[in-house]
Amino acid sequence: MTRAEIEFEILRIFREEFEIDHPGMDDHLREKHNFDSIDAIELLVAIESFLGSELTHPEKKQAMDIRTIRHICDYVEALAKKRDVFTEG
Amino acid sequence: MPRRVVITACSAITPIGHTKEDIVNSLVHGISGVKPLREDDLLSRYIHSKVFGTVDYPIAYDFKRVYRKTMGPVAYYACQVAKEVFETAGLDSDFMTSGRLGVAFGSIHGSPTVQRGIYKTFFGGDRSEYAAIGAVDYLKSMVHTTAVNITKMFGITGRVISSSTACTTSSQSIGYGYEAVKYGMQDAMLCGGADEYDTTTVAVFDNLLACSTGFNETPHLTPRPFDVSRDGLVVGEGAGAVLLEEYEFARKRGAHILAEVIGFACNNNGGDLILPNLNGITQTIRLCLQDASLPANAVDLVSAHATATKMGDVIEAQAIHAVYKDSPQVIALKSYMGHTMATCGAIETILTLYMMAEGFIAPTLNLHEIDERCGMIRHVQKLVEQNIRIAAIQNFAFGGVNTSLIIKKFE
Repeated sequence: MTRAEIEFEILRIFREEFEIDHPGMDDHLREKHNFDSIDAIELLVAIESFLGSELTHPEKKQAMDIRTIRHICDYVEALAKKRDVFTEG
Repeated sequence: MPRRVVITACSAITPIGHTKEDIVNSLVHGISGVKPLREDDLLSRYIHSKVFGTVDYPIAYDFKRVYRKTMGPVAYYACQVAKEVFETAGLDSDFMTSGRLGVAFGSIHGSPTVQRGIYKTFFGGDRSEYAAIGAVDYLKSMVHTTAVNITKMFGITGRVISSSTACTTSSQSIGYGYEAVKYGMQDAMLCGGADEYDTTTVAVFDNLLACSTGFNETPHLTPRPFDVSRDGLVVGEGAGAVLLEEYEFARKRGAHILAEVIGFACNNNGGDLILPNLNGITQTIRLCLQDASLPANAVDLVSAHATATKMGDVIEAQAIHAVYKDSPQVIALKSYMGHTMATCGAIETILTLYMMAEGFIAPTLNLHEIDERCGMIRHVQKLVEQNIRIAAIQNFAFGGVNTSLIIKKFE
């Protein structure tokens, strides 16, 4: 998967699962969109589905620092690279 | 100094209707909300009682995802009636979030639908679903999910009382809410209960041989409280909410006052957890009259708990007669919609408010031949036009919990 595909999928999840349309890449998700800890857990489940693999407990804990869409995409890119499924492009 | 407590708004989702107009129409025309038990791929095929008090009309929920994400079916019911009450009441938004408004709301056991989903994942062995069990499932299913989804939706920061005492849940909600306002802990309380369609609840009563099974082909003919042909209760679903306010506060803001709550009592039988107890029930009725400072003959109407079980109706009739003699008229509202479990106290209070407002008493449905063991009280078998000034609503629950509420028409 490419960075563009990651961003497309994350924005799709936010639109369809969280009913948040067109969030800015650097919007503070909690302050601007009321994105809370419950949403964060659901997002991790959606990311696992996208990657096709479970996240480890340490990987989930790393997600706790996420604040923006850009952070989420960086996080997923790192996970994809670790799983050897990321391609530049 | 105890304060006066008034009811300023109400709303109910019942098997006989949602709006006041629909519910009154059902009461006036003797329309039953008991329908065939819906299939659920779980227990419905094993249950002998194939009838249920069903909410079978669409409800236009309009909740944003931020609220929906912590709500199971029972919380949808609860938040809908709460929303309708607040829309009617017109409380100031600053007051709503001030801490002077609290919530007393409950259900039998939260959301069994969500709980079953959790256990299916737990026992299903599908590891990929494991991560889905988490905080959100607990929030949707927990026993106090109705109360706190209401506080979340409306930003309420006052007291939360989330009674869960089976059939006395919402009557306790109203009673404890009444006491919170009466003794000054809160100036207003949103009170009620909700329960969703669930065959595990039906199965509990079915396995105790307490459910009606003789009218599976004619659901509208059951339950039959106090009738010689009664054969048990019918489980139902729904929700009911009332807004209680301190009287001076309500009066000053120009609230429309439906009635005044003038008495509440709650006790326990201190023994068997299933069989109703004559002494316990009689005592709670007496305590309620004492709380209201009323003689028994001041009560015009008793809304009996009357689930249509063989012995329950007999014991309740004896208790009513022991205290009230044959003074008040007695009706059994469960005859229209079955036993709506946690919400029965709130729904039966609301239906009594509607009858009070419209000046009639609905008859007990399916009461064709009164069981002579229940015959010493004044049953209502035909619709009567009557000014109801004071009404008592009584409910009893598994665990031996008994409640009685007295409301007075506001004039």
